[in-house]
Amino acid sequence: MWAMLQTLNDEVPKYRDQIPSPGLMVFPKPVTALDFSFSVSNPESYRGYINDLKKFLKSYGLEEQKNLTNCPSGAFHEQKACSGVNDPEFGYSTGSPCILVKMNRIIGLKPQGEPRIECILKGENTAVLSTYPSNGTIDLKYFPYYGKKLHGSYLQPLVAVQLIFGNRNDVNEVTVECKIDGSPNLKNQDDRDKFLGRVVFKITMRP
Amino acid sequence: GLSSTRAAELLARDGPNTLTPPKETPEIIKFLKQMVGGFSILLWIGAILCWIAYGIQYSNDKSSSLDSVYLGSVLALVVILTGVFAYYQEAKSTNIMASFHQMIPQQALVIRDSEKKTVPADQLVVGDIVEIKGGDRIPADIRLLSAQGCKVDNSSLTGESEPQPRSCEFTHENPLETKNISFFSTTCLEGVAVSIGVLFFIIAVSMKYYVLDSIIFLIGIIVANVPEGLLATVTVALSLTAKRMAKKNCLVKGLEAVETLGSTSIICSDKTGTLTQNRMTVAHLWFDNQVFVADTSEDHSNQVFDQSSATWTSLSKIITLCNRAEFRPGQESVPIMKKAVVGDASETALLKFSEVILGNVMEIRKRNRKVAEIPFNSTNKFQLSIHETDDPSDRRFLVVMKGAPERVLEKCSTIMVNGQEQPLDRSTAKAFHTAYMELGGLGERVLGFCHLYLPADEFPATYSFDVDTMNFPTSNFCFVGLLSMIDPPRSTVPDAVTKCRSAGIKIIMVTGDHPITAKAIAKSVGIISANSETVEDIAKRLNVAVEQVNRRDAKAAVVTGTELKDMSPAQLDELLANHSEIVFARTSPQQKLIIVEGCQRQDAIVAVTGDGVNDSPALKKADIGIAMGITGSDAAKSAADMVLLDDNFASIVTGVEEGRLIFDNLKKTIAYTLTKNIAELCPFLIYIIAGLPLPIGTITILFIDLGTDIIPSIALAYEKAESDIMNRKPRHKKKDRLVNKPLAVYSYLHIGLMQALGAFVVYFTVYAQEGFRPSTLLNLRVEWEKGYVNDLEDSYGQEWTSYQRRYLEWTGYTAFFVGIMIQQIADLIIRKTRRNSIFQQGLFRNKVIWVGIASQVIIALILSYGLGSIVALNFTMLRPQYWFVAVPHAVLIWVYDEVRKLAIRLYPGSK
Repeated sequence: MWAMLQTLNDEVPKYRDQIPSPGLMVFPKPVTALDFSFSVSNPESYRGYINDLKKFLKSYGLEEQKNLTNCPSGAFHEQKACSGVNDPEFGYSTGSPCILVKMNRIIGLKPQGEPRIECILKGENTAVLSTYPSNGTIDLKYFPYYGKKLHGSYLQPLVAVQLIFGNRNDVNEVTVECKIDGSPNLKNQDDRDKFLGRVVFKITMRP
Repeated sequence: GLSSTRAAELLARDGPNTLTPPKETPEIIKFLKQMVGGFSILLWIGAILCWIAYGIQYSNDKSSSLDSVYLGSVLALVVILTGVFAYYQEAKSTNIMASFHQMIPQQALVIRDSEKKTVPADQLVVGDIVEIKGGDRIPADIRLLSAQGCKVDNSSLTGESEPQPRSCEFTHENPLETKNISFFSTTCLEGVAVSIGVLFFIIAVSMKYYVLDSIIFLIGIIVANVPEGLLATVTVALSLTAKRMAKKNCLVKGLEAVETLGSTSIICSDKTGTLTQNRMTVAHLWFDNQVFVADTSEDHSNQVFDQSSATWTSLSKIITLCNRAEFRPGQESVPIMKKAVVGDASETALLKFSEVILGNVMEIRKRNRKVAEIPFNSTNKFQLSIHETDDPSDRRFLVVMKGAPERVLEKCSTIMVNGQEQPLDRSTAKAFHTAYMELGGLGERVLGFCHLYLPADEFPATYSFDVDTMNFPTSNFCFVGLLSMIDPPRSTVPDAVTKCRSAGIKIIMVTGDHPITAKAIAKSVGIISANSETVEDIAKRLNVAVEQVNRRDAKAAVVTGTELKDMSPAQLDELLANHSEIVFARTSPQQKLIIVEGCQRQDAIVAVTGDGVNDSPALKKADIGIAMGITGSDAAKSAADMVLLDDNFASIVTGVEEGRLIFDNLKKTIAYTLTKNIAELCPFLIYIIAGLPLPIGTITILFIDLGTDIIPSIALAYEKAESDIMNRKPRHKKKDRLVNKPLAVYSYLHIGLMQALGAFVVYFTVYAQEGFRPSTLLNLRVEWEKGYVNDLEDSYGQEWTSYQRRYLEWTGYTAFFVGIMIQQIADLIIRKTRRNSIFQQGLFRNKVIWVGIASQVIIALILSYGLGSIVALNFTMLRPQYWFVAVPHAVLIWVYDEVRKLAIRLYPGSK
């Protein structure tokens, strides 16, 4: 056992064959399943989301990014809309909630082509979906990832999704599906793994 | 009698002369019994829990996976398959039994077409005239037409233990009471309920987990703890042995009897037919003042006594002529000793004896035509016949006589010595008495022979002899010799008895025979050893009264039925405890039951032989009832646990040997099977306690229990005996169980834990090399299992979706599985022996073991590489190098066990 542990590489796991392609995940994480549910008029119902987002995005803040040297253009692609800079409540209070979509980290993964995250609303809906950056591009400069030890302050690329609901006085329920697109080696269609390169989540907003 | 055609017509009209067979347990009930017995219940519970778990999951989340349903179905399938298998095995052994019944159909001697014919009893029809003689089973309900001193045993109908006299008179309205009807012997059959006692654990789960988790945990524990394959393995192992025993003439009816047989500590054996050959055989001859020994072995081939004397010529002539027994026709190709004879036991013996020595007896008799005859009866105690002689120059008639020696001697005035007639004086009479007493003391039946040549002038060739008026002399005969007969022991019996002795098995002879005969046979086969004495012997040697002898000094005892009747149970206990060599003589079958109960009070496992209907209670009461296949009645056979096809005592000993061997081997099998239970159980405990992702799935466990492990554990049943198993004391049924504490502790806590550790190393290796170090895995369980957490971070910062994790979990299952499998190979090899080093026993003596190992590896390879893509089975392809991670642990297990065995051999006393 001990001998086995000694053979392990501190930086990179020996095999990565079980995660050839990254999954997609949203942030913040709802308490149960991928079902965001909140009420515009009740700040308590979305306080948790906001706090999570703030915490998560703290490392993406300018303060934290000062140390980053090896990213040539360390610019933050986030637009003001969902960054929490202008609106500390990430649109939840105004009925236009922001949700971050992130791609799972995989050591050594080099996406081919021009990966981007494409989100669509499923079904008939009055809501308007916008992504930031607007075409959901993920810059190749984020890759590859070298692992926690070598790449401690690595920040994975994010795409923000904002939903603007037309009617704020009704209960709004939308299902959003996001997929990785534009990169031949990032799969987004697997029968068994519903999160491989895609993520589906639901937002329920009550007045 | 009837004509054959008429008989055939009647047969067609009335159907065969058979009893409607007793109603048997319906097959479906037998089948269902197999389905719900023992572990099966636990597995059913497991399966139902699975479905409940799915129900709960489904009500919470409609999209929940079907895993639990699969598992439940697999469990149900397992139970059904093992049930079907066990049912099939039992059905097979029942069939053997049934076919055996048909092998020896009852025969009846019937007069048809004015000829005596032997027909199967079921072919008898109304109107047939049947001949019966002593010892025959009444082949049908018959009315007696003529009878001489006929007695029947009606005990199975009326419970009367005394034989009932039967004659031709009509005496009673009630057919049961009237004397002229005998009944077809009926027997009662009782179903043999086969129940296999099982040990199982009940683990209550009272930890604070969700109901669902608890249920899954419970199922895991059940599946891990229940050795699903064990029932099938044990059944197969036992039926293998049963088959092997059947080849050696022991037919075992219930499989558990195989194992009980191995623990036998007392065998109560009949004498006649079991220890002896069940045929009277000439053992000694006395003529010319000398005792000659005849060959009593089964084939009589070797008659070495001096046949040159003229006395022998005369004697042999009397033997040949004064005999009514005849060979049945149509047996030319059958060896003499095996030919069927019409005639009583002594006459048969004499006929065969003379046939062997002189050749064609029938021819000799033809040449010496019989002109008159007085058959033997109990009042004159002699048999006499008058013959013409085959010497053309001698026209005298020869009167030959045989009978009870003292009666024969009375009729003699001369004695033949070396072919010369000499007057019978005091000294020759004394010599006769000495010889008579000597032969009688050997327990042999002694017959005297004499002859007389009638003077030709008084008895011309035309003389008409009348046996009723006795118009010929019956005294002043010339005494020729004595001949003694005994039912000799089977030649294999003395060895078997010695074997029993060294195996610590006490043999008690129970016979209806005379004490002297019984003792003589007991001595000759070694049941009473050469140097041990009975109380009576000591009294005789010391010349004191029997009462003065200390009973404890006598090792042997000969007890008669009358003495036994007067004994209190306490006295019987004392007798059984104090004497190691006991012969019960002149006992009734009822007393057999008392003896068996007495032995059982001594905490002994008693095997009892029996053949008659009256033996049934004793056979039932005994731990192992052994019925005789040839002479046994159907009642005895159905009450017995085992049937001896050749009626030979030695076969019982073979059976005991096989029983001991299979007990040893089952112990090995169980140790082998139990070992991995810990390795299967630990994952679930650790999963709950340390919060690791589940190391092994329930289905995977089933694949070990019912897949890779099955053939190896059966292979252990083929293992040869380690040391001479017949040199051990019989095991104590209550203290020395199949699964005892040392075995369980060693299997579970030593090897089992080592194996669990080894398997965990493989598991951790797989996880660590994929990115999850053991430290990360700790308490990861809750997050790991959340389906919506799709960015779980590993030790290197990578993130995993839930399906990716699940797949990794399955790889972990496979790794754990392979880990256990590899170590089970080592386990299999160490289980081959219990004390000997594997090098002493030899690795290659049991080829089946290697088949087992090969099957293990092949099944595992197929599961990992062949079925890797079937989701329900939870197997994935494993990197080739992971197959070798557990090898050092396997070697470690082997070395550990070799050290243990070395310690056992060096310090045999300690545990």
